[in-house]
Parts: sequence; C-alpha cells; structure tokens
Amino acid sequence: MLSRNRAAYAFLAPYLLIFVTFWLWPIINSLLISFQNTRVNPWRFSLSANWGRLFGDPAFYNALYNTLIILVIQVPVMIALATVMAVLLDSPLLKARPLYRFAFFAPVVVGEVAYAAVFRLMFSADFGIINKLITSVGLSPVSWFDNANAAMALVIIAITWRWAGYNAIILLAGLQSIPDDVYEAATLDRVSKFQQFLHITLPLLKPIISFCVVLSVIGTMQLFTEPFLITNRGGPGGGTETLGLLLYRQGFTSLNFGYASAIAYTIAGLAVAISLLNLMLGGEKK
Amino acid sequence: MRFKLAGPAAAVVLLASSAAFAESGQITIWSWNVAASSLKATLEGFNKKYPDIKVTVEDLGNDQVYDKTLAACAAGGEGLPDIVSVENFEAEVFWNRFPECFADLSEVGYTPEIQALFPEFKRTELELNGVPYAVPWDSGPVAVFYRRDFYEKAGVDPASIKTWDDFIAAGKKVMAANPGTVMAQADFNGDSEWFRMISNEQSCGYFSTDGQSITINQPACVATLEKIKEMKDAGLITAAIWDEKIQSNTAGKAASQMYGAWFEGSIRSNSPNLAGKWGVFRMPSLTADGPRAANLGGSSLALSAASENKEAAWKFIEYALTTNEGQVTMLKAFGLVPSLLSAVQDPFVKEPQPYWGGQAVWSDILVTLPQIVPSRGTAFQSDADAIYQATQTKYFAGGYPNAKAALDDAAKQIATATGLPVTQ
Amino acid sequence: MKSKSRSLLVQKIALHMVLTPLAIVWLFPLWMMVVFSTMPDHGIFSPEIVLWPSAEFAANFRNLQADTNFIRAMSISITVAIIYTTLSVMLTSMAGWALARYRFAGRAIVVAIILGTITLPFAVVVIPQFIMVAREFRLANTWIALIVPPLFNSLGVLFMRQAFSMMPGELFDAARVEGVREWRIFLHIALPLARPTMAALAIILFLSSWNNYLWPLLINSRPNMMTAPVALGTLIGLTRVSWGGIMVGAVLLTAPVLVVFVFLQRHFIAGISAGAVK
Repeated sequence: MLSRNRAAYAFLAPYLLIFVTFWLWPIINSLLISFQNTRVNPWRFSLSANWGRLFGDPAFYNALYNTLIILVIQVPVMIALATVMAVLLDSPLLKARPLYRFAFFAPVVVGEVAYAAVFRLMFSADFGIINKLITSVGLSPVSWFDNANAAMALVIIAITWRWAGYNAIILLAGLQSIPDDVYEAATLDRVSKFQQFLHITLPLLKPIISFCVVLSVIGTMQLFTEPFLITNRGGPGGGTETLGLLLYRQGFTSLNFGYASAIAYTIAGLAVAISLLNLMLGGEKK
Repeated sequence: MRFKLAGPAAAVVLLASSAAFAESGQITIWSWNVAASSLKATLEGFNKKYPDIKVTVEDLGNDQVYDKTLAACAAGGEGLPDIVSVENFEAEVFWNRFPECFADLSEVGYTPEIQALFPEFKRTELELNGVPYAVPWDSGPVAVFYRRDFYEKAGVDPASIKTWDDFIAAGKKVMAANPGTVMAQADFNGDSEWFRMISNEQSCGYFSTDGQSITINQPACVATLEKIKEMKDAGLITAAIWDEKIQSNTAGKAASQMYGAWFEGSIRSNSPNLAGKWGVFRMPSLTADGPRAANLGGSSLALSAASENKEAAWKFIEYALTTNEGQVTMLKAFGLVPSLLSAVQDPFVKEPQPYWGGQAVWSDILVTLPQIVPSRGTAFQSDADAIYQATQTKYFAGGYPNAKAALDDAAKQIATATGLPVTQ
Repeated sequence: MKSKSRSLLVQKIALHMVLTPLAIVWLFPLWMMVVFSTMPDHGIFSPEIVLWPSAEFAANFRNLQADTNFIRAMSISITVAIIYTTLSVMLTSMAGWALARYRFAGRAIVVAIILGTITLPFAVVVIPQFIMVAREFRLANTWIALIVPPLFNSLGVLFMRQAFSMMPGELFDAARVEGVREWRIFLHIALPLARPTMAALAIILFLSSWNNYLWPLLINSRPNMMTAPVALGTLIGLTRVSWGGIMVGAVLLTAPVLVVFVFLQRHFIAGISAGAVK
C-alpha cells in the first residue's frame, strides 16, 4: 500500500510542480504585490495605492459595466442561439447534416487573431462589406469603431459568431444523451414538438446549459483579444474596454503591476461569485 | 630599422583591430511605420561608412514598441533590441521607471558637443538627473495636408483659412463641391490627436509645463474640445482610425488631414498616384490672430543597457541622428523633420517638392518650429490619455452638459489616478 | 396518414429554411477571409462589393512574408504546439491516473485545487506569471517560457481522470498480483486503453496552443521568437502593411486546424463536450 501511494505521488509530481511554480506561487505573490505601490522605485507597501484606488476609479467601473453588458446581453443570446442550433442539428429530418455541422462548428477552431482581422476588414466603416451591404439596401452606414454602442455591438457579434458553435457542440452531446423513450411517450400523447422541447428537452438540458453559462462567464470575465484587436484596444475611448483589457492596460501599458494585481483579484472574485450564483440558481429548481 | 618600424606597425594593427571591433556586428532596432521606413532609408549611406555593421530595423507598430519595451524592461531588459524608438511624450515613463534598462549615452560617445547640436527643449524629456538616455530624432510640427483639386473645385483658397471657423466654412463648401468626401478625419476610436494638437497650439495640455499639476480643464483646453465637437457635429471631421485614414487618402475620400509633419511621408509613400494633388497649409487658430503652431509626435532613439554591441549601435545612432546626411535622408525619404539644428538649414528644405505640386512644403512647415510651445508628457501620460479619450467619447455622446464639465471630470479622474493636484 | 407525412414535409422545409440562412451567415466570415486573401489591397479598399476570389493569393503571400517572417512564425507555432501537446498529454494523463486509481493523503485537496482553478480566469494569473517567468526566472524569449507555464491544465486532468476511473479495476489488480510495477501498469495497460480519450485531449490541447495569443504576446518580445498569431496580430494596425497579406496569414492559421477538424471531427467533438456530459 505504501509503495502504491509513493507511486501516486510520483505520477502527480511533475504536474504539481508546474502548478506550484507557475500558478500557486505567482498567485500568492500577486496578492502581496497588490498591496504595494508599484509606480515608485523601489516598490513600497501601500494599502491605498491600489485597493483604495480601485473602488473609486471610473475606469474600473467602466470596464466592469462593459463586461456586465456582454454578460447580460451576449451570453444569453449566444446560449439561446446555441440551443436552437443544437436542437435543429439533432432533428432526424435534417438533410446534409455534415454541411450544417461544419458551418456552425468551424468558427470554434478559428484563432482569435485570424477572425479579429477578418471582422476588422468586414466592418471597416468606409470600405467594409457590412457597411456596403447596409447602404445597398438604403440604410445609412454604421461607424462601427467610433460609436461606443456600435463598437460594443461589433464585439458582441464577433464573440457570438466565434463561440455559439462551441456551446452547440456541448449542448448537442447533451441532447444525444437524452434517451429516446422519453420522447416516445410524449409523441403518443400527441404533444407538439414545441411543447416537447419546452417541457421535456429543456428541463433535461438544464444542467448542461448551466455548465455552458459558467464557461461563458469565465470567458467573458477575461475577454481580451477581441476588444484588443477588433475595436483597437477597447476603443472608442474605453467604450469596449473590458476588465481583461483594463488589466492589460494597467499591467503592461501603465506598467502598474500592483494595481493590475488588485484588478485581477477582483476579476477572480467576480467570476467565482457569478459561477456559484449560477450553480445555486440551477440547483434550486431541481 | 626593424625597431623603428615595429612601433607604428603595432599601432596600426592595434588601431585596425579596435576599429574592427567597434565597427562590426549585428544590431537590431524597434520602430514603427514611417519612422521604421526612414531608418531603413539611412542604411545605404550608413553601410558605405560601416560595411560590417548589419542593422535590422523591425517595424512593430507604435503601440507594440511601447508595450514591448516596457514589458522587456520589467523583465530586467531581457529581449530588448539594441536600439528602441521612444516617442518623446512617453519618454519620461521609461527613465523614471527603468533607469537601469537604458545605457547612459555619455559613456558611449554622446559628448556635450554633440548634445549642443540639438535644441534644449528637445533634450529635457530625454535626460534625467544629468544622464542622457536618448538622442533627439525628429519633431512633429503640425500642418494641414489638403487635396488641391478638391479645394479648387470648391473655390476655396487655403491661404484664406486662418481660424477654425474659417476651416468649418471652407469645409462645408469643399464637401458640397466634392460629394462623398469629408473635410478631415480624426481618430476618435483610440487616439486624442486633434485635442493634443489644438490644445498645444493654444498652450494648454494634460499637465503643466513642469509636470507637477493637471491643466486639462483650463479655458484653452475647454475651448479646444468645444471646437472639435462643433466640427464633428457639423460632419466636417469624421472618425477614422489610423489605417482607415491612410485608406481614405488613397481612395480619395478625405479632402484634408491634420497631423505632425511626419504624415508627409505617409501620404507620399502610400498614395504615389496622387502626386501633384496634395498641398500643405498652416493649422488654423481659435482666434483671428491666435497662434498657429503646434507639435505632435517626435521621437528619439535610446540604447538598451543589455545591448552586447553598444559601440556599433552608437555608431548607427550617431550617423542617423547627429549628421546632416542621416537626418536629411530621412526628411527626403519619409518627411521626418530633423531635430538636428544644422539639418534644418539644409538646402533641400527650400526646394519645391514635385509630389506636393511644386510647393516648398518644408520651408512652409519648418517656419513654425520656433513658435511651438513645448508640451510636457509625464510618467503618467498613458493614464491621462486613456482618461481623456474616455471623457471625449462620453462628451460626444452627450454624457456631459458642456466641455467644461467634461474636462473638469477628466481632471478629477487624472488626479485620482496620478495623485497630482489640479491647477485652479 | 397522408396528413401526417405532409406535416412532416412542412416541418422539414421549415427546418431547412431556418438553418440554411443561419449557416450562410455563419460561413460568411470564413468565406470572406478566403476572398480577401486573394484580393489586391486596392480591391479590398474599393467601393465595390466583391464576394468572389481573385488571383492575388501568391502576391499577397509575398507581401505578408515581406511584412513579417511568417514562415518562421508558423514553424515556431507548429514546434511549440507539438511539444506542448505531447508534454501536456503526458503530464495530465499521469496526474489523472494518480487521482483516479490511488487513495492517498492529500488527494481531496489536489482535486479541490484542480476544480477550483477551472473557474479561475487566465487573466488573473497572467500578471503574476509574467513577473515570475520574466523577472525572477529570466526566461523571457525562450522556448521554455512558451511551453512550460501553460502545461498546467485542469480540464485535461479531469478528462483523463474520468477515462481512467471508468476502466475496470480488476484489470489492474490482476497485473499487480502478478507483480507488475505501477509505472508499467500505467504505461502498458492503462494508457493503451485510454487512447481515444488521449486523442480527443491532444486535439483540444493542440488547438489551444496553436491559437494562444495573450501569453506568447507578453512573454516573447523578440520578433524572431514570435508565434504565428502574435506575428499576425502585430501587423494589424500598421500603416504600410498589406491587408491582403494579413488575410493570407489568417487563412494559413485557419486552414490546417480546419482540416484537422474535418477529418477528426469525432475526437474533436468528444474533447469539447467532455466537460459537460458525465
């Protein structure tokens, strides 16, 4: 038994070594740094330099607001869309299924930089294909990069395109794990397809939807690349600056590691809190 | 006989070897856009003098050079190239935070005699506690670049545009006569260049000249922001990020652009087929007889303390920045206005430029140099600029009753972020 | 009976009428990526609507290669992704094996940590990790910095643990009775059985390494150590840059993983949906 335990530690050791060196230690270290004024040379302990500043900083509230907007608008829209995709892809009536699957799942493998570049070109104000299409039907073009609301819409469109298929994959796997006999009874009772979806599929799918929501929340809390590359570093004037971007700006543009660490801990706290809330709400109705 | 020869021969050998030591090797430079291109333009002349020094100029884009230099300094200088380009208004961030990251140039050959070749105001931001960290490179005297054909079609004489109100009146005519064009463009997405140009013209800025207090809500700054909004609301300036401006120039959508003189090179090299159609005039003022000179941009070159080839790197800086040959090459090729006092006197400056319809653009632009009020960037530049941009966006969207309220709020936020007092 | 088949037909048509436009919208950006990559810049920035490829792909590729050494960046990315995937599959399999098949002191704590880090956004770790790797270890611009820190992968461990715990225990006990050593049991009995799971995990890990942007952007500042996404990201926003070339880069980044996706779809989907369906 003892030698077996020793074997277990040996199997775990390399993985844990990396965890301790590159994650645990830095995370603890960053808590210490968040209590230091890192804009002076050498760094000095200060409670107010970072934590004191954070809760009075409009830039923080702006980033928090933007992140919450994405959380409240983009996440539900995307999950709903992904559910629709999954349910329709699961339909036995569907022809050319592989083609549809390819269409919806392909964005999942596309790198953030590649699709950011494409979206930037497609939505370019003067020469973008989207504005050309909008004007060709007689509407006025949208200045996607310079109007804060339009820029936010652009970020939301981009993320939804990239991630809806990802969630659809997870939901589809969940749908396929629902046994057919559950529906058979309903079909005999002449319950409509929509009623079936509402009263059978959705409740059974709930834990999986909940899982997708948690993943999306974590993703949104650290959203960085899209507003960094598509809307030009969170522009216009911070209109799409997310918490992840604020962290980058404070960490690597203002080079204020202490303040960035305080922001990082706040993001982590929020992510954990929202995930727990979601799990609690999901669990209650069971 | 033999002994007599030995001495000089040994000396020659020694000299040759030390010269070979200093004048060979590989150096790398980080820079951006036309600045990078202009450094590349000096290589031909440089390699005639120093054939064994191989210089690689890497164009990473302005933001990336700044971010990466800071990150590399935070990593103890690991990963820095031999030479980095540093924009003057951000320069103090580097020396204040990471003095150990950059070489003291007085130790590699930047003598007081060479320092004296540059104007005093260009050097203040580049030297800290008597240590020179970077050599002045170019300045960005502001000018309005305009399409001659568009203005002519509207019957607008650029010489008559003296105030921003004149500019607005002219803009309405130009846009009416040339459907599908805009009078000018501003980067309302990720920059603050119009505010920085006009406020600098009006002797205002984010910080006071000594860098000790916040002045962004002073009356001249408020008037600047009001005028920008007026022009934006009138549809005269539309929003365009940097690459969109270039694309608009090429596609003939912009009737004019206002920028530092270095934009000359961007227009000329990106739109070669528009030769003869562009011209230049001085930036208008807020008042009839007000000042009409400002500066935007302007950079310097610094040497990394971790460079293993400091001597070769210094040779390049010396050639490119402290000789007329190097500086005028960059002016000719990409419109970088020399900081080197003697280079500004070069005969080339007075020559009419074929691309610009025969206008002697450089003497027209450089005449404003002595009138420019220096504007001070501080170690808090990036914080202040981000706050200004957020305020500007909110103000344009109707988030403040007026420009004064907007800039009062910006001043308050900058004070929170920096700990500096707001000038009353 | 007739009316039923008619209603089925109506349903079928409705289904395709909803899905087809949606699929077209979804494929549109990918299609435009290909179209842009074949267009000259003056075509991209012209007032016309162009929806069909031209013939400038090769010229755009040459422009891209002139703007940044993209072939070098691609080879760095491929090397990093292969080494990372191999190491990560090894490490997570070992850890997953230990957690699935042994009861030892501290096991509950390790599982709690791994579960806890799943909800931790990477952004939270990036600053301290950067300080640690760059400042303390002086590892900026090295292969180690690119590969090693991301090796800690919680989902991978949970995925492997699940695979190992679903295997029948008698198999391993029988081997132990015969005196086979623990590491041989792992290597010769357990791992071969876990092959499909490892394949799914490997694809996901390869993809995450291939597309990783933030960490390589921060930790490697030297252009000769840039991965392909970082090299491409650096071009966005430059002035004298060929957008057609950028699009060629986007196509080159995307095409290989799309091919992998098409041919290994089953493993791929298994990898993504692993977390949800227990």
